[in-house]
Amino acid sequence: MTDQHDDTHDDTAVFADATAMRGTGTAMIELEGVDKFFGDFRALGDINLKVASQEVVVVIGPSGSGKSTMIRCINRLEEHDAGRIVVDGTELSNDIRNIQEIRRETGMVFQSFNLFPHLSVLDNITLAPRKVRKLPKRVAEELGMAMLEMVKIPEQAGKYPGQLSGGQQQRVAIARSLAMKPKVMLFDEPTSALDPEMINEVLDTMKELAASGMTMIVVTHEMGFAREVADRVVFMADGQIVEVGTPEHFFENPSEDRTKLFLSQIL
Amino acid sequence: MSLTPDRLGAAHRSGALVWARRNLFRSPVDGVLTIVFGAISLWLIYKTFSFVFITGRWDIIRVNLRLLMIGRFPDVHVLRLAVTVVGLAAWGGFLAGFIRARQIRSGRVSDDDESVVARVGDTVARLWLPAMVVLLLLVLSSTSGPWITVGIAIVAAILGRALGPLAGRPKLGPMGSALLIGGIGAVPVGLYFYVVTAVGFDDWGGFLLNLFLAVCAIVLCFPLGVLLALGRRSTLPLVRVVSTGYIELVRGAPLFVLLLLANSALGFFVPNSLAPSTSTRAIIVFTLFTAAYMAEIIRGGLQSVPRGQIEAAKAVGLSPARQMGYIVLPQALRNVIPAQIGQLISLFKDTTLAGIAMGLFELLQVTTAIPAQEGFRGQGLIGETITFAALLFWTVAYTMSRESQRLEKRLGVGVR
Repeated sequence: MTDQHDDTHDDTAVFADATAMRGTGTAMIELEGVDKFFGDFRALGDINLKVASQEVVVVIGPSGSGKSTMIRCINRLEEHDAGRIVVDGTELSNDIRNIQEIRRETGMVFQSFNLFPHLSVLDNITLAPRKVRKLPKRVAEELGMAMLEMVKIPEQAGKYPGQLSGGQQQRVAIARSLAMKPKVMLFDEPTSALDPEMINEVLDTMKELAASGMTMIVVTHEMGFAREVADRVVFMADGQIVEVGTPEHFFENPSEDRTKLFLSQIL
Repeated sequence: MSLTPDRLGAAHRSGALVWARRNLFRSPVDGVLTIVFGAISLWLIYKTFSFVFITGRWDIIRVNLRLLMIGRFPDVHVLRLAVTVVGLAAWGGFLAGFIRARQIRSGRVSDDDESVVARVGDTVARLWLPAMVVLLLLVLSSTSGPWITVGIAIVAAILGRALGPLAGRPKLGPMGSALLIGGIGAVPVGLYFYVVTAVGFDDWGGFLLNLFLAVCAIVLCFPLGVLLALGRRSTLPLVRVVSTGYIELVRGAPLFVLLLLANSALGFFVPNSLAPSTSTRAIIVFTLFTAAYMAEIIRGGLQSVPRGQIEAAKAVGLSPARQMGYIVLPQALRNVIPAQIGQLISLFKDTTLAGIAMGLFELLQVTTAIPAQEGFRGQGLIGETITFAALLFWTVAYTMSRESQRLEKRLGVGVR
């Protein structure tokens, strides 16, 4: 397992694509032979994926295909049962220090926002920088305000999450993740819980983030976003990666029957 | 529902008739019910009124007021209690001012949110009921000492409130802050020792003893309850088994039995010279007993926090202790405030059991003893004394309940 990776002549199609991307070419995230079981159910089977620095990868697939489980394994919200996961050169292990080190470098945005309802918007954003990065309060608050300006809602800093619209809450959640200055951002269906008129404000924020060079893995059903922003699209079904390709390849000319079936159902 | 429509006055007679018809006599059954319950209510009101103002022999309270409030506390040391009351009033005022200044400094409260008039009005609305009862007690008292004490206490509270912000406003270093908060915390402890060095625990009595037992047990049972709740959910098997075992064992025993055990069976385990005083034992039993219930209430609160909250806390890199301390526990505790306060009110009222089970001379013991006094014997005055005890308990319990609702509202700001 260990001497299979790190070689320059990647032979699988999955890896070969990465070199053609906008990304810098150095791997930010590597998944190798990752398996995940829920009881007897195999949620992930032999997942191999390499994401380059500054690359945007969009993961699509039918529900229950393991998309969320895969990205939740990357920051250890789920524990994988076999294989290797390496984030920015650090391999995920069972050591809590190691897990926290990887979580510090990995931002995550959830479908249901998961803002802390008892804290103000600004406190939501500054809590982790203050307690984990040990920033002084004033520095953390300046950083927090800068993040809120980035997602274009600085005027909401003093409010509580319950007073914001869904779209605003999700933008605060993005700002909260960014305040930790992560190297990777994971998005787990960030627009699925939003009313239709709020989806675009969140997608626009994500587009700007992608344009700024953030490494991103996005699980979504927004095909427009995938087509426009993704460097690569990953199609998953039944816990396995079925096909990986550029958006052009993927939407115009998919090679797998399973992909064609899925696309015919949703487009 | 008001049963006397004519309170609306003659000018609104027709309106009142319409109202009565709609609300009290809509159907024959409604009419019968209104008349029956109206008659019962009027009879109850009449009986209560005549008991309180005509037939009640309240001189038994007047004569024994001191015994009811502080038991057989030695005369020479009552001054220490007065000093303590004044000290606590100043301390409370200081703390209120201090906390508010800190909140303004951190930006959680804006200084001009409410006018001074509105805030004073708010304080009056919070305190008028206990204040009325204190006034009643003062009127009943036969000496000037209580009047002077309360007068000075009010001045001390106002002074403390004025001084509190001076300590809360400036930014102190961590050392300064720790010293200041330690100093504030030391005041009630110091006052306790000031009293207890003169008069040992077992000579305290009356309502003072009920209040003191309850306050001590409340302060101690809360952290223990939190620890037990966390212990029961721990991933360490030993911690979990011990916590669960403790909770189930204590909840399975009646409080009264535990008090009796502490009173008599403790001698089997601890030599008499080392055994704590009866009142201390009572505090320990109340604390251990209530902590088991608090633990289950808090565990319910912990379970009410959605899993997504913990995942979000993990995802931003917080350590397990910080996930608990900053994210889960604050939400868990807030979610179960009503149940927690209910348990604490129950604890407060259960302090009367310490009188029956352990022979402590608390309020209920006094109220049942004094009708047998020389001069009152055989006159059946227990109604008066029990009513008086009920009033005191109700006043404190109801104030706790109102304060908890207020707390709930304030902590719920902006939450769905």
